[in-house]
Amino acid sequence: MAFGKFLIRRLLQGVFVIWGVVTITFALRALSPGDPVNLIAGQVPDQSTRDQIRQDLGLDQPMYVQYFDYLGNLLTGNLGYSYNQRRAVNDIIAQHFAATVELAVAATIVAVVIAIPLGVVSATRRDQPADYAATFGSLVGISTPNFWLGIMLILIVAMQVGVFPTSGRGIAFHEAMYNLFRYGYVLDLLSWLSYITLPAITLGTYFTALITRLTRSGMIDELGKPYVTATEAKGLPRTLVRYKHVLRNTLIPIITVLGLQLGTLMGGAVITEEVFNWPGLGQMFITSLRNGDWPVVQGIVLFIAVAFVVINILVDALYARLNPQVTDE
Amino acid sequence: MTEEILRVEELKTRFFTDEGQVNAVDGVDLSIDRGDTYGIVGESGSGKSVTARSIIDLIEPPGEITDGEIWYREPDLAAAIGDDYPDAIDGDRIDLLRIPPSVRRSLRGSNFSMIFQDPQSSFNPTITVGEQIAEAVEVQRRASANPRSTRARSEQYTLTSMILGSMFSSRRYVSPESRERAIELLELVGIPDPIERADQYPHEYSGGMLQRAMIAQALAGEPDVLIADEPTTALDVTIQAQILDLLDELQAEMGMTILLITHNLGVVARMCNRVGVMYAGEIVERGTLEDVFDDYVHPYTAGLLGSVPDMEGGGGRLQPISGNVPSLLDHEMGDRCHFADRCPKAMEDCLNHPPEYPASGSDHHAVRCVLAETGYNDGRALPDDYFDGTDRPAGDKHVGPDDRDEDSDDERQHPPAETTGGEHQ
Repeated sequence: MAFGKFLIRRLLQGVFVIWGVVTITFALRALSPGDPVNLIAGQVPDQSTRDQIRQDLGLDQPMYVQYFDYLGNLLTGNLGYSYNQRRAVNDIIAQHFAATVELAVAATIVAVVIAIPLGVVSATRRDQPADYAATFGSLVGISTPNFWLGIMLILIVAMQVGVFPTSGRGIAFHEAMYNLFRYGYVLDLLSWLSYITLPAITLGTYFTALITRLTRSGMIDELGKPYVTATEAKGLPRTLVRYKHVLRNTLIPIITVLGLQLGTLMGGAVITEEVFNWPGLGQMFITSLRNGDWPVVQGIVLFIAVAFVVINILVDALYARLNPQVTDE
Repeated sequence: MTEEILRVEELKTRFFTDEGQVNAVDGVDLSIDRGDTYGIVGESGSGKSVTARSIIDLIEPPGEITDGEIWYREPDLAAAIGDDYPDAIDGDRIDLLRIPPSVRRSLRGSNFSMIFQDPQSSFNPTITVGEQIAEAVEVQRRASANPRSTRARSEQYTLTSMILGSMFSSRRYVSPESRERAIELLELVGIPDPIERADQYPHEYSGGMLQRAMIAQALAGEPDVLIADEPTTALDVTIQAQILDLLDELQAEMGMTILLITHNLGVVARMCNRVGVMYAGEIVERGTLEDVFDDYVHPYTAGLLGSVPDMEGGGGRLQPISGNVPSLLDHEMGDRCHFADRCPKAMEDCLNHPPEYPASGSDHHAVRCVLAETGYNDGRALPDDYFDGTDRPAGDKHVGPDDRDEDSDDERQHPPAETTGGEHQ
C-alpha cells in the first residue's frame, strides 16, 4: 500500500539524518579544544594515572577507531559515560527527559487550547474588535522574549502575588499520577500543576501567538476558496461549514508546524529551563557543554535528533491521513 | 398553465471596494416560469454570476444587495411565514429580500441550489465526494424533521460536535440513511460504481464525473430552481454535451426550473426557452429564444451572435465586438447607454441611459436600446472617434447633447475639453 511505502521511505531517510547528526557532533568533539582527562583527573599531576585514564576512555586510539567504537556502542544502545558525573549518559537522559517532555507537552497544550479558538474567532470576525484584540495580543506574544517573560512572571506572579512557586519541578508527573490512582492523593497532582504553570506559560506564549496568527491567516485563506461558497449553497449550517470544512482544512498545515515546534521543545527549552531551574534536558545540555562533558552533549544531541525525526514521521503520517492528496503523489 | 416561479425586479448588487463602488448588477429584471430553462448570456464581468448569486443569497461582503425585489412563488412557505413577515408576502409569493437571513438560508438546497463552473475547486478536497453529497441530504432531512419555526435553533453545530464527530462515528453529522441516499443520487446522475465512487476524494474523479457529482449534490434537496453557473465551461466539448443532456433529462424527470448562466450561445440555443442578454450589470435584451436569436434589436446581441463561428454557412469572417467590457465602477459609469462606446450604431440619443422598450416578436421581448423605439438614423450618428481618448466618459453628462444640432459637429468632437477647460469661458 502507498502509505506503507511512504512510511518506510521516511524511516530510511530518518536513519540517514541521525547518522549525519552523530557524525557531525563527533567531529565537533574532535575539533574542540580541552582535554577530557583534565576534567576527570582534575589537577592530578601524576602522568601514569593520566595515561591510565586516557587509555580507559579509549582516547589514546586514533580518531577513526574512536568513531567506530562510538557507533558500535550506539547500536547496542550505549551512549557512553559522563566524564564528571560518574553515571551512564543513558541514565542522565532518562532522568531529565521526563521533565522536558512534561514542559513541552504542557506548553503545546496551552498553545493549542488558546490559539486555535482565538484564531477562529479572529478569522470569522475579521476587522471587528475581537479580531483586533487577538491580532494585537498575538503580536505582543510573538515579540516578547521568553527569558524576560519568565523573569517577570516570577517577579510578579510568584513573588508579589505568591500564587505559584518560583522555580523547580516539585514532583514528577508520573509520580503524581501514580499517587493519585494508587492512593487517591490529589495534592501531588495540584503541586505538579503549580510548578509547571509558569514555565508552561513562558514557553507557550510565543507558540500560542504563532499558532493564533497561522490559524487566522490560514482560515481567512481557506474561507475565500470556491468550495466554501459551494458548501454554503448546499444549505449547511454556517458553523458546520466553518468547523467541519474550513477549520479542518486550516489545521492540516498547522499540524506540521505544531509537530516541528514540539520537536524543538523536546530538545529542551534551554532558556525557560534555566530561568525556572527546571531540571530538563536543555539545562543538562548547557551544564555539560560548559564542563566539556562531551559524552553527555553527544547523547543529548543524538536524543534530540531522534525525537525530531520520530515526531516528523508521525506528523507526516498524520498529514497524509488528513490530506488524501498526499499519499497518491 | 405556466406560472411564474421567480420574478426579479430592479435588482441592484453593489460591491464596496477600495477603488470605489462597483455596480455589478444594476437594475436587473427577470421573470422565470416554472419548469423553464432561462439563460443569461454575456461576456465575463457583465454581472451574470452576481445576479445568480444574489438570487440564492451567496453575496459576501464587500458585496451587498442594495435594492430590488425577488419574488418567489411558494404557497407553503408563504402560508408558514405569512403571519411573521406580512410585508414580504404577496398572495403565494414571497419577496426573498424582505425575509430574515435565517429563513433565506433555509431555502438553500431545498428550494434553490446551485452548480458551479469548476467542479474541482467546488468540492472540499479533503472530504470524500459521498460524504459531501450526504451532508446536503442530511441538512434537508434534519430540516424537514423540524417545524420551520424551530429550524434555526436546531441547526447548531459547534466545535464540540466536530471533535466528537471525528472521534465517535455515532456522533457524526451525516447519518447512514443520508449516505445511502448520496449513493442513489450518484447513480441517478450516471456515475458508474457509485458505492466505490462515494468513498473517493474529489481529486480521484475526472472533471466530467465531478460535475455529475456536483449535480447530484445540488439535487439532494430536490430544489425548485437549479442555478447552473457556467456548468460546462471547464469541461471538454464531448463532456459538455453529456452534462447538458443530463441536465435536460433531470429537468424532464423532476420538473425543475433551471437558471443557466453562460457565455456560450450554443449552450443557450440548445437548452433555453427564455434568454436574457447581460451587459454591464443590466439585461439589455430579453425574450424567448426566437426573439433574441432571430428578432434581436440590440446591437450588442447582434455582436454576440456575429462573433459565433457558423459551421454550416462557412465563408464569412467572424465579427468580434470591438473594445472591452466597461468598468463597472460607479463613478466611471456615467449616464449614457453603457454600450454606446462600442456600438456601431451609436446615436446622440444613446448619451441618455435608455429605458426598456418592448420590441417585435413575442410579448416577452424587451430591449434596453433606443433602436427599438426610433430605428437607426444615420444623421444623428455619433462620429467614430467620439469616445476616443475619453477613459472616463462620465463627464459627458454636462455637455447636454440633446439640444445640439448637426451644425455643432466640431463641438461634439471634443467633449472632454469642454468639461475640463472652464477657465477660458
